[in-house]
Amino acid sequence: MRCVRVWFHKTGPIRYISHLDLMRTMTRAIRRSRIPLWYTEGFNPHPYMTFALPLSLGMQSECESMDIRIEGEMENGEICRALQGVMPEGITITDIKDPVLDPKFIAAARFRVSFHNAADPSALLQNAREMLSGDSLVVQKLGKKGHKKVMKEIDLLQSLQSYELRLEGETPVLDLVLPAGSVNNVNPALLCDEILKLDPGAYYVITRKQLLTKDMEPFA
Amino acid sequence: MYPKEVEKLLPLVQKPGRYTGGELNSIVKNKDEVALRYAFCFPDSYEIGMSHLGIKILYSVANARPDVWCERVFAPWHDMEAQMRQNGIPLYALESGDPVKDFDLIGFTLMYELCYTNVLNMLDLAGLPIRAADRHDLTPIVVGGGACACNPEPMAPFFDVISLGEGEEMYDAFFDLLKDCKARGADKQEFLREAAKLPGFYVPSLYDVSYHEDGTVEAVTPRDGAPATVQKQVISDLDKVPYPEKFVVPYLEVVHDRVTHEIMRGCIRGCRFCQAGFLYRPIREKSPDTINDQCRALCDATGYDEISLSSLSTSDYTKLEALLDKLLDWTIPEKINIALPSLRVDNFSDSLMEKLNKVRRSGLTFAPEAGTQRLRDAINKNVTEDEVVRTSRMAFRGGWTAVKLYFMLGLPTETPDDVAGIADLAQTVVNEFYRNPDKPKGKGVTVSISVASFVPKPFTPFQWEPQDTRDMLLEKQKLLLSSIHTKKINASFHKVDVSFLEGVFARGDRRLSAAIEYAWRHGCKFDSWDDSFQIERWEEAFRACGLDPLFYCSRRRDFSEVLPWDHLDFGIRKAFLQKENEKAHRSETTPHCRLQCAGCGANKLNGGNCDALRQSLVS
Repeated sequence: MRCVRVWFHKTGPIRYISHLDLMRTMTRAIRRSRIPLWYTEGFNPHPYMTFALPLSLGMQSECESMDIRIEGEMENGEICRALQGVMPEGITITDIKDPVLDPKFIAAARFRVSFHNAADPSALLQNAREMLSGDSLVVQKLGKKGHKKVMKEIDLLQSLQSYELRLEGETPVLDLVLPAGSVNNVNPALLCDEILKLDPGAYYVITRKQLLTKDMEPFA
Repeated sequence: MYPKEVEKLLPLVQKPGRYTGGELNSIVKNKDEVALRYAFCFPDSYEIGMSHLGIKILYSVANARPDVWCERVFAPWHDMEAQMRQNGIPLYALESGDPVKDFDLIGFTLMYELCYTNVLNMLDLAGLPIRAADRHDLTPIVVGGGACACNPEPMAPFFDVISLGEGEEMYDAFFDLLKDCKARGADKQEFLREAAKLPGFYVPSLYDVSYHEDGTVEAVTPRDGAPATVQKQVISDLDKVPYPEKFVVPYLEVVHDRVTHEIMRGCIRGCRFCQAGFLYRPIREKSPDTINDQCRALCDATGYDEISLSSLSTSDYTKLEALLDKLLDWTIPEKINIALPSLRVDNFSDSLMEKLNKVRRSGLTFAPEAGTQRLRDAINKNVTEDEVVRTSRMAFRGGWTAVKLYFMLGLPTETPDDVAGIADLAQTVVNEFYRNPDKPKGKGVTVSISVASFVPKPFTPFQWEPQDTRDMLLEKQKLLLSSIHTKKINASFHKVDVSFLEGVFARGDRRLSAAIEYAWRHGCKFDSWDDSFQIERWEEAFRACGLDPLFYCSRRRDFSEVLPWDHLDFGIRKAFLQKENEKAHRSETTPHCRLQCAGCGANKLNGGNCDALRQSLVS
């Protein structure tokens, strides 16, 4: 039995399936691929599968990884080809590697956000620029205090580690780095919703581009 | 693929995966290369619709034709509907994202009476008039089928065509006719007149209904060459009829998320309350080899790790153990679980239980249906208390600590003793657990009793019976609860308001369409969902339309009365049903079809053939 890290993209309409749905989708895809999956030896045998950092519903990603355990001899390249052949549209297997870092070392994530359907793209860009260069941007966020759910206030600009705003053709684009991981995680949608308040007819698409450690090294 | 305008709505609704399509094995064709576009609508949520085996079968049958592209459509949930209406987005099909109103054919599966308002809502959301008479163009043609098609009268004014029976083979001629009419520019009336001549297709607008002064039906009269009766169509050989090689695999968790395989159609038992037991006759079994091969292909194509062998009474499949042996050969190494939903207590064996235990253990559910032998005889359930006890003992010895039992309240001839008998029977099962010397230490037993309210249905021996009123049912529920003396028995009840409405529509006539339209216009939809169900609205609808719901559900009908569905022929002779009704009132049983053919008449649908008849001659 050995553990391999499967790297994949999740893009297009399939971004509207939740993390739980993705787990089921992956379990079935792996069964179709017939790679020799290792099963737990209990009353209810199930495969071992763990994701580095679950992705929010509606977000695309080019940096997803899941760890699975396989039995017997099968090379990473062979596993990769087998999995590539069985994935539903929107999930692209990019690589199979031996895991290097534990997911607990994930500290930040880089995102790319594109804004569509804006009434005036350059106005949206300009307004966003002003918003992000302000002193603070406090929003309400549903958080947990023990088991209770409470509203918390956070200042998004305190969390914003870096960003860049630009027009790509007619599309306003925001690149940004926010804290991510099990300790402190800030969803970029909080920030995007604020920007959208300036132009309610628009909508945005978030793509997670890269997971980073606290030293800004790529998670591998 | 959804339309572009939907993109910005998806982040605003719950479970957006319901509306995106793109699932594995969904079928996308080039719309310029097909002659007919068919929107197959399921009038309930995605999760319910995607669990429905009929849709999977008909989706693959229709798409097997290169000239037809069949797509799926489900009822958008409240939040999505509000967004679509607000943003002017019409109902669209999941595969192409194209508006449903542009399709040639719109099909609805009528699975249960409480989905009726959703049909109207979906037509309206598509931008179409809800009444057939207000849709003048040849296309789209709106066709209905499914279990409720056996009495489609309350919905008749909304449909152009109703198909009776098993869709696998009958649709070919229908597609050809529509294709031909489209090509030669025929009008809708011409198409309908021709469609009425096809076996199994009922065109409600070609039948006039007249009523007596007391409100009962006087006559149903065909016009324009439509046949006096429309006969349900059946397939003759389950081994030769196509079964899907692939299932669309949903991303969302749906209700039945597994490979479902229909191993047999029809039922030998003849339980007098059970509509499916009569509607799906005659008995036809599929061979173990066919089932085994098809299950394997489906598991390969989907990646599912569970197979459900479905039928009305799976343990009555004659070659069940042989089939399980074949399946277990490969399902055990592949860690695929096998579930057998409809088991009976009278033929559940040790070896069957052992086979079920191989991969994962699921719950055990049995349906005694009534609490006393007298009432079980009256409904022809043909299960004895000894059998219930023996089976429970076997299950407890096999390690189960929970058993679920299904019962009904409000069955014809029921007395207070019969109601209390439900609690007694459940108590007997509890006692049986504690009598087991090897019972697991420190573990108690749970006997769950799920108690439905009986709704009399067309084409059953009880089609003339009055349904218990809501007050009577509530009284019986109270009596039952007061007869339970242990916390080891959990009782749950169906809502009586829901059963009442189901009862009204099950045996309703065309005049009820006004109430359905009224209720829908005043906000009723998703009526089968507790949090959407609005009984006050429905009662208001009946009042506003001058209809007495009790006339439909709680009136004893005379055997001589013309029933609203008499012009539809499901093979079962009315005289047979009457004889069964009379036997019920004498608490007399009828042996199952393999012991002795009761002469129901359904074999005429299949050229005189019935597998049960053949099997009874062999034994």
